[in-house]
Amino acid sequence: MSRLEIISPEGLRVDGRRPLELRRVNSRTAVLSQADGSAYIEQGNTKCLAAVYGPREPTKRAALLHDRALINVEYSVASFSSGERKQKLRRDRRLMEIASTIKRTFENVILTTTFPRSEIDIYLQVLQIDGGALHTAINAATLALVDAGIPMTDYVCACSAGYVNNQAILDLNYLEESAEIPTLTVALLPKSGKITMLGLESRLHLDKLEPVIQLASDGCKQLKENIDATIRESTKSLAKTILQ
Amino acid sequence: MISVSERDYITKGVDVSIRADGRSRLDFRELVLETGMITQASGSCRVTLDGGTDILVGVKVEVGSIEPEVEAEEADILEDMEQMDQDDGITMVKDKDRGRIICNVECSPSATRIFEPRDIEDMCNEYSQFMNRVLNGSHGGVDLKALCIIPGSTCWILNIDVLVLDYGGNLLDAIFMATRGALHNTRIPRATVEQSDGRVEFDIADEETEIIRGWEDVPLCVSLNKIGYRHIVDAAPLEELCSSARLTVAVNRRGNLCALQKGGHGGIEPSLLAEMVQTAKQIGQTLLKRQDAALREEEERIAAGKDPIGFGAASRH
Repeated sequence: MSRLEIISPEGLRVDGRRPLELRRVNSRTAVLSQADGSAYIEQGNTKCLAAVYGPREPTKRAALLHDRALINVEYSVASFSSGERKQKLRRDRRLMEIASTIKRTFENVILTTTFPRSEIDIYLQVLQIDGGALHTAINAATLALVDAGIPMTDYVCACSAGYVNNQAILDLNYLEESAEIPTLTVALLPKSGKITMLGLESRLHLDKLEPVIQLASDGCKQLKENIDATIRESTKSLAKTILQ
Repeated sequence: MISVSERDYITKGVDVSIRADGRSRLDFRELVLETGMITQASGSCRVTLDGGTDILVGVKVEVGSIEPEVEAEEADILEDMEQMDQDDGITMVKDKDRGRIICNVECSPSATRIFEPRDIEDMCNEYSQFMNRVLNGSHGGVDLKALCIIPGSTCWILNIDVLVLDYGGNLLDAIFMATRGALHNTRIPRATVEQSDGRVEFDIADEETEIIRGWEDVPLCVSLNKIGYRHIVDAAPLEELCSSARLTVAVNRRGNLCALQKGGHGGIEPSLLAEMVQTAKQIGQTLLKRQDAALREEEERIAAGKDPIGFGAASRH
């Protein structure tokens, strides 16, 4: 355990939040000109940009699926995004793993059978990392997919939660993540409450799993309201331009 | 890919100085400039050209040795520099009292689907090398000597990472604009050198920072595209496809020509070349003035403690 105090005696975290509080969320859709759908989301200091192209003809004929659309996810991280500068590798395995996790998360939600023999590309670009890059990227992808008008059964909302000092905490930032706190990332479909992605990479007592998942799920539901508001707002402004 | 009729439409329009978006031949698009939105970087800047092109530049400073370790990529840069020095006829012996700038242009896959990934990679590499040559060259602006900490051993290395977020034509001009903005925004920790019994040591301050000396003199690029018999400035994507030749001119605020590069497959007549360089120089000056005004506004915004708008103004609906 690091020396750093994660929760102060007054019950505040390093960035001044209460344990069950999300970071400030700021999101917008239709930020890029070339993509069919795009979105930008800020969760605290973690910033992510998402672009969706498609459905369209697959670039690789071999990958074509006859009964449904192929989903392709690329996840990249800007070299200036974190504290230490990282030279981008051509095929970074860690990034590829994250991309395939995100791909699996969305495959069940997008109505892929509506577009047989076509391809949907989701490009995620993380601009700045301050913890929770994965769940921020998933939320950005949801926004961009909706902006592109791709039919989905539900939103996918993701959030992380951790457990420290006998208390579950929501939406960890970089300092908290690096303090060896067990961190759990959950992505769920808010309407049905079904969990589509779950990841935990350190030790957590089984008894504590339930409350942590519950907290992360609550976070997802809060984020859903936020994402929904952004989409409603952008749809309203879009409707205005059509009616003019 | 561009159809014959589209090409015809654009070429005829350029001939009478009316372009598809209503600009005349030598009009530059509106640009939005913002600095300091990436808090993890030493300096950052985002430049958006109206209707597309979106560039984000992050500068990260690090302490490194003056003699670059001979890594494959860096060796390339060094070789290029040496070659350039020979071309210039300047004998810049590998100075032991200078810092370094390493530029890297990267195109986010979200930016465009017009080109093949391999073409994009080639383009990014070309731009990276061009930036490396210009900024490390004798007219790069940045005072490389000021980046030196201990002559002969340690210096600051400026890593300039350019990220192309959205493609809307005229990338190179926007890249230079964003780079100059990011250098304006960059703060280097103050390093104090101490000598104690023959050993030279340095200490990096936590709080005190310095600006990059000479950022004002960093050149901006103006790319002119030749379409038909005329040339236009700040080409949109379709116009770039019609262009037979491209001429990129780098100018600094003193009006000096800092670099020149011809691209594209067509030829440029010598008389036209002179005219194009003159035009580029003039446009470069106005661009520099526009950017300096925008940077002053940014400075005031930062001094006032207001948050950057970020992607706020960018909604395209």
